[in-house]
Amino acid sequence: MDCLEFRRLAGADPQHPDAAVLEHAAGCPRCAGYLRQTLELDRHILAALSVPVPLVAGRAKSAAASVSGLDRRRWYALAASIVAGVLVGSLLWVGGPRNSLAQDVLAHMDHEPEAFVVTTTPADDAVLGRVLERGGIRLRPEVGTVSYANSCRFRGRTVPHLVVQTDGGPVTVMVLRNEPLDAPVRFAEDRFTGTIVPAGPGSIAVIGGSDAELEQITERVLAAVDWRQD
Amino acid sequence: MNAPFAGKDGETAFARLCDELQPDLFRFAFWLARDRQVAEDVVQESLLRAWRSRESLAEIGTVKPWLLTIVRREHARLYERKRFETVPVDDLVGSESPELAVAEEQQTLDLRRAILELEDDYREPLALQVLMGLTTEEIASQLGLTQAAVLTRLFRARQKLRKRLVAGANEEGN
Repeated sequence: MDCLEFRRLAGADPQHPDAAVLEHAAGCPRCAGYLRQTLELDRHILAALSVPVPLVAGRAKSAAASVSGLDRRRWYALAASIVAGVLVGSLLWVGGPRNSLAQDVLAHMDHEPEAFVVTTTPADDAVLGRVLERGGIRLRPEVGTVSYANSCRFRGRTVPHLVVQTDGGPVTVMVLRNEPLDAPVRFAEDRFTGTIVPAGPGSIAVIGGSDAELEQITERVLAAVDWRQD
Repeated sequence: MNAPFAGKDGETAFARLCDELQPDLFRFAFWLARDRQVAEDVVQESLLRAWRSRESLAEIGTVKPWLLTIVRREHARLYERKRFETVPVDDLVGSESPELAVAEEQQTLDLRRAILELEDDYREPLALQVLMGLTTEEIASQLGLTQAAVLTRLFRARQKLRKRLVAGANEEGN
């Protein structure tokens, strides 16, 4: 693939780069930069497209509800099990007692295309510092190159979302202070494989590509994270 | 035939999905029509039509593309019934257009304006991809285009927006 073809593909669908696009980006810093810029542009486009939703939401819901005669409490009472059913049906679970946490982690990954970007450029120190501070952790440099850091909303809380570059490709790390686990959970689906391990007062999720080996990086992350007291 | 939305439980499941999708359906309808009131009408009518036909759906996973198809058709139907007055984009900017007047970052507002000015052929696939999360294959299916044509339109849409942002930044710098 040459740079022109790369830009045509990355410029059309930056959030789902195929293997050839990623391979090219890994060997071409300028095109990797183009991909990052395009992802950034997409973030702005999404913000621009997300126009405020007016009262139509209430109006249309009432319309549907009046047709169905649904009671709002019933509506929500069954919602959780229905949504869980949809998600479970689409995933292949290796195992684990708290699948819903893994499902939520995977759902979150869909909103973070940086997870796919191979780069040697580290995240801005100030940004990383703020993310760690808000997450109540410190991170030792032994973890490796952190190329992306963001404070994400997850299950109603703000959690550090990091991407660490490894020899096997980019790996996403989510530090989940408020999600304690009794035992590690492993999971996999088409694009990702991941593990969530008990850590500090909560847990840490480590997610890589579908064929990623996560054992070493998980150990490295666990050793690198210092939990500050609440 | 599998009918996940039949019966009381099916009603509940369908209502829940509509509830979840409705904000984005409104946004999509807005970008189709570029008119807040029309978008409300389109979504309202689309959901009622969908509700009446929900038992014909065989799979839960098809709800979103199905609803998008209904919204697109309803918008086209409304457009046929009533030829909308052409409104200059400048007229959308200001106090009568909450989409553009709310306090948001200037860059977001500039980009929103640029998206409003995009030709339909570029704006619609972009909204389907970035807002609704459809794959290029799904967009091709929705719009009756080849996947290659969709990729071209998406690429050009981003190019146009990128140029607008660069031009805007240059103007600010001068």
